[in-house]
Amino acid sequence: MFTPVARQRLPGEQLKTIRTKADRVTSLTPRRRSRRTVAPPDRRTLDISEMTGVHIDPSRAPVAFGRLAIPELFAQLVEPDAARRLRALASLCDLTHDPERLYQVVSEGFLDQLEVLLKDGDAAVRTRTCELLHLVTSHNIARQALLSSPLLARLSQLLDDPSPLCRTRAHRVMNSLALLPAGAKALQALVPKLMLKLQEEQEEKEEEVQALLLSTLSCCSRLDAAPALSHRGVTLIGRKLSHACSNIRREAAGAMMALSVIVIAMSQVCEAAVLPVLADLLRDQDVDVQANAAGAIMNTVVITTGKHQCLELDVLPVLLELLSQRKPDVEEEQRRKALVLYSLRALTSLAEAPEGRRRLLLQLPLLVGRSEPPEEDADIRRAARTAVNVVTWTP
Amino acid sequence: MSFVSRNQKGTNGTYTFSSRPRPVENRSKYREKAHSTYGNIMYDRRVIRGNTYAQRFLSTEDLAEMQRQQELRRRAIAQKNKTKEQLRSSTPEAVQGRKHNVVQTELYLEELSYNIELSHIECQTDPLLDRPATPLFIPAKSGKDVATQIEDGELFDFDREVQPLLEVLIGKTIEQSLLEVMEEEELACLRAQQRAFQELRNAELAEVQRLQEQERRHREEKERRIAQQREALRMEKETVEKIAARAYTQQYLADLVPTVFQSLRIHGFFYDPVEKDIETNFFPWLMAEVNSKLEKRNAARQLLDTLIHDVAQKKLPLYTNLETRPEK
Repeated sequence: MFTPVARQRLPGEQLKTIRTKADRVTSLTPRRRSRRTVAPPDRRTLDISEMTGVHIDPSRAPVAFGRLAIPELFAQLVEPDAARRLRALASLCDLTHDPERLYQVVSEGFLDQLEVLLKDGDAAVRTRTCELLHLVTSHNIARQALLSSPLLARLSQLLDDPSPLCRTRAHRVMNSLALLPAGAKALQALVPKLMLKLQEEQEEKEEEVQALLLSTLSCCSRLDAAPALSHRGVTLIGRKLSHACSNIRREAAGAMMALSVIVIAMSQVCEAAVLPVLADLLRDQDVDVQANAAGAIMNTVVITTGKHQCLELDVLPVLLELLSQRKPDVEEEQRRKALVLYSLRALTSLAEAPEGRRRLLLQLPLLVGRSEPPEEDADIRRAARTAVNVVTWTP
Repeated sequence: MSFVSRNQKGTNGTYTFSSRPRPVENRSKYREKAHSTYGNIMYDRRVIRGNTYAQRFLSTEDLAEMQRQQELRRRAIAQKNKTKEQLRSSTPEAVQGRKHNVVQTELYLEELSYNIELSHIECQTDPLLDRPATPLFIPAKSGKDVATQIEDGELFDFDREVQPLLEVLIGKTIEQSLLEVMEEEELACLRAQQRAFQELRNAELAEVQRLQEQERRHREEKERRIAQQREALRMEKETVEKIAARAYTQQYLADLVPTVFQSLRIHGFFYDPVEKDIETNFFPWLMAEVNSKLEKRNAARQLLDTLIHDVAQKKLPLYTNLETRPEK
């Protein structure tokens, strides 16, 4: 190719360039800024995304369109790279909020693939999988599928996971499963392990996990309280009644209420001196804690020892005061309905003891007031009428 | 020619500068008139020639010295040129008394030199430049110019046309959000219902327990009472039997005492002490005395008997002899 040789120029000479039209045209166009280096994919400087307007979230895998979204994401879950699995899981979590997608996940049998992920080495992957399962349990079909799959056993192993976040999520899944009766039945086998966890958690001081654990236990005990009782349920739960966090107190009182339906439990409660703690909880700030404590007391005073202990502890005036309080707000009244009901039932049981009957006879107008039509709720009226009957019973 | 340069802040805040390509002007040091001759870029002081890899970075003190050195260099070169010119042969010197004068003999001045005046024209494409865009082909205008302008509101009324679009967009969004809210509300309702049911269930369960307990207590009480009654009955029966037995016994044993006394009297348990004494003390002595007397008599009689027996015995053979002899 011919390359022109630059000749030595003498002084005074100038390079004469012929300016053609082409030059003019070239010089009219603005000089483009040339990019020599590739900028890192920083959100602020990514030109492509600014031009096309797509928001790329680096922590989530891209989602395919339509019905291929879920199968595609599940296919990504078997990749060896943990970061990609995490991203796919994040996208899945986003998608499963939609019931249609959830149905797709369940009906096409993808849940079993999650079992492998629960054994994964990376803690973040396990945590995300538990979160996904938690989202999935918000629908019935998914719950049924979950109960009939071997995922449950794997989940129970995750309760011992080293990562605390993973443990919390696994507990959440267990809790939402236990709300279903079939789930509670399936979880009965796990109750001993849960009691063990409860004992261990005393040193952990993780409040959410404890609250979830107690809630699961109360759901299981509602179905059948025997396993929890046989593993020292009363003592362990009794210790939690005086915890600082009101959630834990509420759940512990609820669990105690569920346990004390069995006669053995009632006598254990009396022996273990749990009743004074429950009486203290009646004066708690939170309405739910008060209601649950009243419920536990109502169950315990069925037996004679319970009655005597409660009368000694002077629980009667507290219960009467709870009855006589009427909040002006309708919503508050709704929330207090449980409290009022339980208090009435407790008073009914206490009225069977002669000492209690004598004292309640003095307070009869209050009870009659609750059983008359000014009281809106039919259940409360009924309970009050029973109480009045018992108080005024003569042999 | 206008110089269009653009200094602007780029889209990302960096400083960019771009200007149209223009040749470097050769300005004299003291600009009196607008010189628009273009200097040779190679002899421009502002352009650095040569190797830039080992460029020395001069401080401000050295700058003046460098300029001085450059001046010196320039003067040396000028001197060299001067000497070169002097070496060149020119017209010989004027004879003494005469002076050469430069006179223009021709009309037009002509420089005599061996150098042929050439004008060099070079054109070289810059290898780095892109092929410039082809110039726009603007064909010659032919035909009639027709113009049209769309005024506002002629094509369509934006506000009216955008209605259905907006309706669809907003409708879909609100529908979706309504669905989500309804779902949440449904869940909340379900949960509230479940809670209410649980509360009722617990209350009723307690009631059931209480009634069960009551039932148990009553049953146990009843049993206890029945047992007590049974016990009482048994005790009563026992008492009746005892009373009957006692009455009978009393009656049976009414004449026991006299009989006993009688039999005792019969058996001699009641005694007269004198009589007893006589019996116990006197009579044995008496009997013993009598016995001894009798013994003595007995002994005597026995003695006599033995005597007689002895005598008889002694006499027996005699008599036997006597008995046999008389018979003879």
